[in-house]
Amino acid sequence: MGCLQTKHASRSPHLLDTREAVALAAETSFTVSEVEALHDLFRKISNSVIRDNLIHKEEFQLALFRGKKQQNLFVDRVFDLFDQKRNGVIEFGEFVRSLGVFHPDAPEDQKVAFAFKLYDLKQTGFIERHELKEMVLALLDESDLDIASDAVEMIVDRADTKGDGKIDQEEWTEYAKDNPYVLRNMTLPYLKDITMVFPSFVMHSEISETDMAV
Amino acid sequence: MAMKKNQDSQLVMGRYRLGQLLGSGNFAKVYKAHKVATGEAVAVKVLDKDAVHRSGMAEKVKTEVDVMRRVRHPNVVRLHEMMATRSKIYFVMEYASGGELFARLAQSTRFPEPVARRYFQQLMTAVEFCHSRGVYHRDLKPENLLLDARGDLKVSDFGLSALQDGRGGRQLRGDGLLHTACGTPAYVAPEVLLKTGYDGAKADIWSCGVILFVLLAGYLPFNDTNLILVYRKITQSNYKCPPWFSVEARKLLARLLDPNPRTRITISKVTANPWFQKGLCPLTTDKPLDLWETSEVLGKEKACRCRHHQRDDADADADADDEENTRKRKRSKVTVSSPPTVAVRPSSMNAFDIISRSSGLDLSKMFDEEHRSEARFSSRESTAAIMSKLEEIAETRNLDIKLNKRGRVEMEGGQYCRRGTLVIEAEIFEVAPSVRVVEMRKIGGDSPEFREFYRQELKPSLGDIVWSWQGSDSPPTPLLPPALRQATNQRP
Repeated sequence: MGCLQTKHASRSPHLLDTREAVALAAETSFTVSEVEALHDLFRKISNSVIRDNLIHKEEFQLALFRGKKQQNLFVDRVFDLFDQKRNGVIEFGEFVRSLGVFHPDAPEDQKVAFAFKLYDLKQTGFIERHELKEMVLALLDESDLDIASDAVEMIVDRADTKGDGKIDQEEWTEYAKDNPYVLRNMTLPYLKDITMVFPSFVMHSEISETDMAV
Repeated sequence: MAMKKNQDSQLVMGRYRLGQLLGSGNFAKVYKAHKVATGEAVAVKVLDKDAVHRSGMAEKVKTEVDVMRRVRHPNVVRLHEMMATRSKIYFVMEYASGGELFARLAQSTRFPEPVARRYFQQLMTAVEFCHSRGVYHRDLKPENLLLDARGDLKVSDFGLSALQDGRGGRQLRGDGLLHTACGTPAYVAPEVLLKTGYDGAKADIWSCGVILFVLLAGYLPFNDTNLILVYRKITQSNYKCPPWFSVEARKLLARLLDPNPRTRITISKVTANPWFQKGLCPLTTDKPLDLWETSEVLGKEKACRCRHHQRDDADADADADDEENTRKRKRSKVTVSSPPTVAVRPSSMNAFDIISRSSGLDLSKMFDEEHRSEARFSSRESTAAIMSKLEEIAETRNLDIKLNKRGRVEMEGGQYCRRGTLVIEAEIFEVAPSVRVVEMRKIGGDSPEFREFYRQELKPSLGDIVWSWQGSDSPPTPLLPPALRQATNQRP
């Protein structure tokens, strides 16, 4: 390992640390190889505006909207959730752990919890009626859909099954169980292809045979 | 070699358990393996990294992965994922449990014409598909033709041909006759032998011709004990058809084995050939083929075609059961009666259905535009009007359209089974009393083909019923992927 560090230090200061890769693989549904492949994607996104190996919000937006400057309530929310340390940037570890939730093999309850946090805009522990409405309006706006306000109310009402003006974790979990379709965006099938999309790691991987068994 | 000890229980990346050695070469070994989580059988090709470096193939490995990823077809062995350690590279691939096609040939000396034709058809659909993706095999030969559990052909090593190590090491099972031919140029086109620079497409067609001959005859068209004589026979295309070859088969072979690549038949001509077409609809099959009869057809009468229903693995992995259901559904013939006044009850959307569709929540855009296989638009038309529009499109594009169990609309078609039939599912939601959202998803077939169909045909013809196309649904401009590739190439 020591030899590895000195060998590569001058070449690339942003090289993925083998121990970090192994640790992240152990924590998520990714293999070490997938973590290494994700590092390529991370390097690309995190150096698109500022070359600092950290994903800033602008870089995140850029990656999702391909150059079109677009403010989006949901992108902001996703960014905040990825930014676990809440320091305004996404580090590689945060990137992998968060994407891990989107892995097709990630446990369902992780996805349910992530989606709940996402929709709980003000982090009150409840998805409140006004938050729901705000999100519905944001989506309708994003889609250029102009819908009468009473129709919007109806849409919001349909989600609040208890009719108490807010949705708690339990209610959400039930709802997601009955309507698995709403969790569709919590799974990225492409993550399974990541080692083929970014295959460069195969030549420079420094994972040892024992690490591989993890 | 950590490999040596405990070979039949070695765990790779905690995900695959290596089993039986299937074959080995100078720097590659192929193992049968099982995915620990699901028990799914796979083939794992293990490359020795030092050897790859020593032979200067490092760059090739990367391009070959890229190629293999692009050629997803039901008749091409699929690459599932890559893994690597400091000393090894692992290609995790689809396992063809039926073994080599030619091993089966050895048992029955030769195949009856309809059987040979069926394998040839599957071979040609695979080759045609790969060519359409700019991928040429250049090394089509018996060892590369495998069979899956259903007896369907799987071409292996498309894209890996450049990585092929010396043939001497490949001592897989099979018949002696054909395998002694390895190391001789038995399947290689004359222009390749002459090293004059060649067209990969034409060279592949020649090899397919040789393969067809062998399937029908049970022996090689160009063979001799003397290598010089073999060369001469190939360059002159000097072969003799045995008496049991039909006239049509002889004619086609003559066109495939044309020593001049310029006048040699093209793939589109092969697939239009009457002899080739003949078997395209095998209705009585004792073998469980992945071929389906045409099920219910709305509106248009059509000749029956075979169905190579290929589901995107993302879906297939996610809901293998669902695939089973799809199959059953197809077989149970849910016929929608015409005139097409179909009662589709649109699903009502609630807040979560709506917000989960935000493009800001679609992280897939971070990866690869190539994968996009969804489109969405809103409409002020009634459900019935939307339905009849979809039917109209289906009819003019020669697609089957039907309702599936969930009340969604399925469109299916394409020219016979060339690239795995494109299957599109459309779902109509009622957002508000006067507003409907129609979501169209590819549930079978090839992503690039879906996008082409979507851009060239679907989008223009929907025209007047669309109120607005939604969110991120601008024409895909793959800005990121080339840049990404560049970035990865720059790596030391």
